[in-house]
Amino acid sequence: MRSLFQYVDGLLRGRFTRPEDLAAGRIEIPISRLVAIGLVLGLSYGVFMGLYGALRPEQASWMQVLASALKVPLLFLLTLVVAFPSLYVLSALADSKLSAADTLRLLLIAIGVDLALLASLGPVTAFFTLSTESYAFMVVLNVLFFAAAGFVGLGFLRRALGHVFRREEAPLAPPQPDPWGAPAPAADVAATAPEAVRLPAPPIFQPRRPVLRERARSIFVLWTLIYAVVGAQMGWILRPFVGTPVREFSWFRERESNFFEAFFRALASLFT
Amino acid sequence: MKLALDLRHLLHGTGEFGPRAAGLPWRRLVALLLLFAALHGACVGAFGLRGLQILYSALKLPLLLGLSTAICLPNFYAVNAVLGLRDDFGAALRGVLATQATVAVVLASLSPLVALIYVSSDSYPLAIVGNGVLFAVAALGGQVTLARHYEVLIARNARHLWARRTWLVLYVFVAIQLAWMLRPFVGAPEMATSFFRSGPWSNAYVVVLRALSALFA
Repeated sequence: MRSLFQYVDGLLRGRFTRPEDLAAGRIEIPISRLVAIGLVLGLSYGVFMGLYGALRPEQASWMQVLASALKVPLLFLLTLVVAFPSLYVLSALADSKLSAADTLRLLLIAIGVDLALLASLGPVTAFFTLSTESYAFMVVLNVLFFAAAGFVGLGFLRRALGHVFRREEAPLAPPQPDPWGAPAPAADVAATAPEAVRLPAPPIFQPRRPVLRERARSIFVLWTLIYAVVGAQMGWILRPFVGTPVREFSWFRERESNFFEAFFRALASLFT
Repeated sequence: MKLALDLRHLLHGTGEFGPRAAGLPWRRLVALLLLFAALHGACVGAFGLRGLQILYSALKLPLLLGLSTAICLPNFYAVNAVLGLRDDFGAALRGVLATQATVAVVLASLSPLVALIYVSSDSYPLAIVGNGVLFAVAALGGQVTLARHYEVLIARNARHLWARRTWLVLYVFVAIQLAWMLRPFVGAPEMATSFFRSGPWSNAYVVVLRALSALFA
């Protein structure tokens, strides 16, 4: 347990995503360890999330705690399973030098950060579960917490991607004169030429920087969109997480409506 | 003597409770918080001079300050770690605990004013509003301590600003609901003394939203 906490602490502190390591395309933490961290953190928030179902006035069932504890880590990991191939292909197309395994590690680390934040909000969720009867409030609160933790995870991912692509932006060393007396490279010629023929050195590397920065941003936006859409739909498939007070416990619900419609319905019902 | 010294250090931001201290004297900070919050709670509960209400409020005020802090601490740790401020967490925690202790001490220092309000009028609404205003004053006093600690931290790393903002938002969000749950603190004269209000717990935010909705309906 202590070792797991140390890993989570390292994850949050960016010990596995140091800029120099990312720039070298190196992420040194076993995938199995990252999955284990995701499972434990997701499970701990799931317990808090399912508490409402266990304590609701009607149809109370402790099975909801078990179901939510299993479903929260599954939500994140299954979303990754579905989205990973497209995420990797897109980043590879954008010339990311991270291997498939390292891309998976990076995404698992971002999910770990997200879940760690979510787990840290578990006591707050438990507190509101114990102090409120409003199902709509619990739905909105959980969505807000998932969103807040998600934003932190995304911020982490964006920073990491910036480092991954910065590797290519590093300025090259200035051209060295050939020790065997070969002609000096163009820039040196320009510097030693008479005033009349001195030309500015060609901007070989300058236009490349914004392109790569833009590429990192595009990859980030695409990853976020794909992961968010898949995640929202996966959440909808795996529902219920909180447990409607008027319905009996069930592992899954029938196929109907969608995530966004349900969220805005819960939000509107807070006012009525 | 030791207590007076601790109070001086806390209010002046010096010694072990200061922003530049090395350790984390959390036990003494928590002890100060519990002691002074209980003192003020007893004073708040004295509205109807009912012994049981005085006892309940003396228990509830430390519970309010302590529990709301405890509920938000895991997230405070996670936010600090993810912002790359883990090495400063001890100092940040000292700042937060010192802030809560300061709120309790300021509240206790305002207790004579509460007594004055109670003695000068038997109006329950006045007692509620008066206590609310004094609590707001104490919260502002706490912010002085928090700002003092965070001034040093922010100078070290500007990201501490975000950690402080996150802490405040979550803490206020939780504390409002906890205060709603733990009511009554003053004790309505026409109601029997009880630790919690009768009936199931409700949600402060849902109540406010529904009241607002009813206003515009």
